[in-house]
Amino acid sequence: MLIYILKRIVAAIATVVLIMAITFVLMNTVPGSPFLTEKSTPQQIQQANEKYGLDKPLIVQFKNYLVNYAHGDLGVSLKMQQGTPVKTILFHQGKFQLSAKLGLLALLVAVSFGIPLGCIAAYKRGTWLDGFLRVLTTFGIAIPVFVLAATLLVFLGVKAGWFPTISGTMTSWKAYIMPVLSLSFYDVCYIAKLTRTTMLDAINQDYIRTARAKGVKTKWIVLKHALRNSLIPVITVLGPMIAFIIAGAFVVETTFSIPGIGKYFVESILNRDYTIIMATTVILSMMVIFMNLVVDIAYKFVDPRITLSSSDE
Amino acid sequence: MKKGLAKFSPFQVDPDKVWADYDITELDFEAATSSEKEDLVLLRKSVSYWRDAARRFRRNTVSMIALFVFILVLLFAFLGPALIPYDYAKQYRSSQKLSPGEYSAQELLIKSIEDEVDCMYATALQPGSMTALDARDYYFEFKGNTYAFTLDQKLADSVIVLQGKDLSIVKNSQINNGKITGSEPLAYTSEPSDTAKELTVVKSVFPHVVGTDSQGRDLLARTMYGTRVSLIVGIIAAFIVLIIGSLYGAISGLCGGAVDFVMMRLVDLMYSVPDVLIVLLLQVVLKDPLQAWFDASDGLIANALSTLGAGIVSIFITFGLLYWIGMSRVVRGQVLMLKKQEFVTAATALGASNARIIRRHLLPNCVGQLAILTCLQIPSAIFLESFLSFLGLGVSAPMASLGSLCSDALGTLTVFPYRMLFPGAVLTILILSLNLIGDGLRDALDPRLKK
Repeated sequence: MLIYILKRIVAAIATVVLIMAITFVLMNTVPGSPFLTEKSTPQQIQQANEKYGLDKPLIVQFKNYLVNYAHGDLGVSLKMQQGTPVKTILFHQGKFQLSAKLGLLALLVAVSFGIPLGCIAAYKRGTWLDGFLRVLTTFGIAIPVFVLAATLLVFLGVKAGWFPTISGTMTSWKAYIMPVLSLSFYDVCYIAKLTRTTMLDAINQDYIRTARAKGVKTKWIVLKHALRNSLIPVITVLGPMIAFIIAGAFVVETTFSIPGIGKYFVESILNRDYTIIMATTVILSMMVIFMNLVVDIAYKFVDPRITLSSSDE
Repeated sequence: MKKGLAKFSPFQVDPDKVWADYDITELDFEAATSSEKEDLVLLRKSVSYWRDAARRFRRNTVSMIALFVFILVLLFAFLGPALIPYDYAKQYRSSQKLSPGEYSAQELLIKSIEDEVDCMYATALQPGSMTALDARDYYFEFKGNTYAFTLDQKLADSVIVLQGKDLSIVKNSQINNGKITGSEPLAYTSEPSDTAKELTVVKSVFPHVVGTDSQGRDLLARTMYGTRVSLIVGIIAAFIVLIIGSLYGAISGLCGGAVDFVMMRLVDLMYSVPDVLIVLLLQVVLKDPLQAWFDASDGLIANALSTLGAGIVSIFITFGLLYWIGMSRVVRGQVLMLKKQEFVTAATALGASNARIIRRHLLPNCVGQLAILTCLQIPSAIFLESFLSFLGLGVSAPMASLGSLCSDALGTLTVFPYRMLFPGAVLTILILSLNLIGDGLRDALDPRLKK
């Protein structure tokens, strides 16, 4: 067990280094110097290169880059807030906190609505409710986040006027409704669909029949026997789901004008502010990898039958 | 006779009866005729794998409806642009910011006389630089006749109208309350000169069915074009994934041993990389070098790719780099499973070459899986393309994809919601129908998986 966890941690670190290598290579593939502006002279670029160590061999640069990131030095912004350290921009201006709050809420909604809906659909299999939920979930995984966000904004925000159309810094609870709904809708539908399938699988197992034969109430069969065993596949998708919510946050924050890390990332992409793009990519990737690690280990605790060699297909 | 034979079963023998009580005659022991034999044959004609799958697919109502909807979207994207007179890239200056079905003031003016004329050419309704006609030779065709004429001075703010056999120029100011109050006759012949330029005449003013954008481009035409771009990007990306993924998986599965181990560790490593972030990074970084390459190089490939644009090409590169992993895992699993099957052992024992085994045994058994995965890859590629285009990466103006149309509409979402909702709805319908077709295909090609 311990060996497995250690192995996974080593693999996770290898992935982080891989991502940092990818970002480093890409950073150096970008033509021109980051300090190139209309006014800069060759000497100025030379000076700036020396100042930031860009005149050293690439391998030394890569080492410095790894060391800097390990020390939390993410470089300075090149365009958006020129000269300001990237760390200050991302963490000390409330951007990260706002996005984290939104993302965690969406995850919470996805799990706390998706699983019960899936259970209900499996429990009421073949009824109109199951049919309705199936249509809803099929539709939900086909609609792109931005289309859903825009539709909500137009109909609930502008036409009905129930919720503010610009969420801003999220001062009222009303401002959260539409962003969280559009961020989590795909995941709610996906989890519901998955739970329904795995529940139906579990219901046909022998131990359920045994429990039924013993006279256990249906409610308890569903909650104690079927649900527990059907949750395993649901846990596995939580890792990729974090990545999906992060991707959705780029769109949702842009649509609802929420000044979070997602919106800032999109702006930095459009402005080609490379240090911010790199830093954000590395930080968010690390979060996703960390979550995958946690999920994989949690997986083992939920179902001890699972063999822990990562190469098993 | 046959009846008696059928009765003669050990399970139906009544022990109290003597053999003579059964109605058995010598005739019962005669050889059966060929027609009697045929009656007993219960086998039906053998049905091939694909025919069987097609039958299962046809029985699936949801998939059939999805297929029908998908065909409608295809017609919309590929046939639609031929049915409307507007171009996706051309800016009609007099018709900016129109709501669905709304006519601009100029269009209303021209429209008011459309009942009085057979056909017309209005300079005010032409896109961009074409709003004035230079002095030169022109011709147009109408109902099989050719009308050639010469303009001896520049013409603007006017309508060239054909009424019966009279061709004339009507100034916009000469139209009053739907009546033509004055006109200047225009002499014409039926033989256009060599230098004559063709004009496209219209019978009536075509409505902007879903309005126009702030540059005066027709939104319906743009959505049709965008659907086409999204579809093509999705299909090409899916095929890139198919080729790379199945080759990688097949090599890994066939070679086995150390090669397999190394190749699969690489896949594991790449699998844990959060793709969306790397995709965004790649999009940003690839765009400039690609554009520079297109501008500098004069080769055939560079020219072909530059018509697609740097954004779309970098989407293809991203798919080629990152998205083949799922496919390669499935193909490897299939190959590993099939490799151990008895029929492969038998073929090897009979001396079949590796190439023959791959061609005759492995490939046909994998085709179903490959078809399912490729079909489900198309909507996910469209999804990703629209996501990137929405963030301002991917395709760039004047080209359009469904994602970039939504992105363009975002700024004015509260004022002109239909600009977002129309392409958004088309995108959702497209992805939905492709998802359902993929599901149906999976159920049809691999019934074991059906839940």
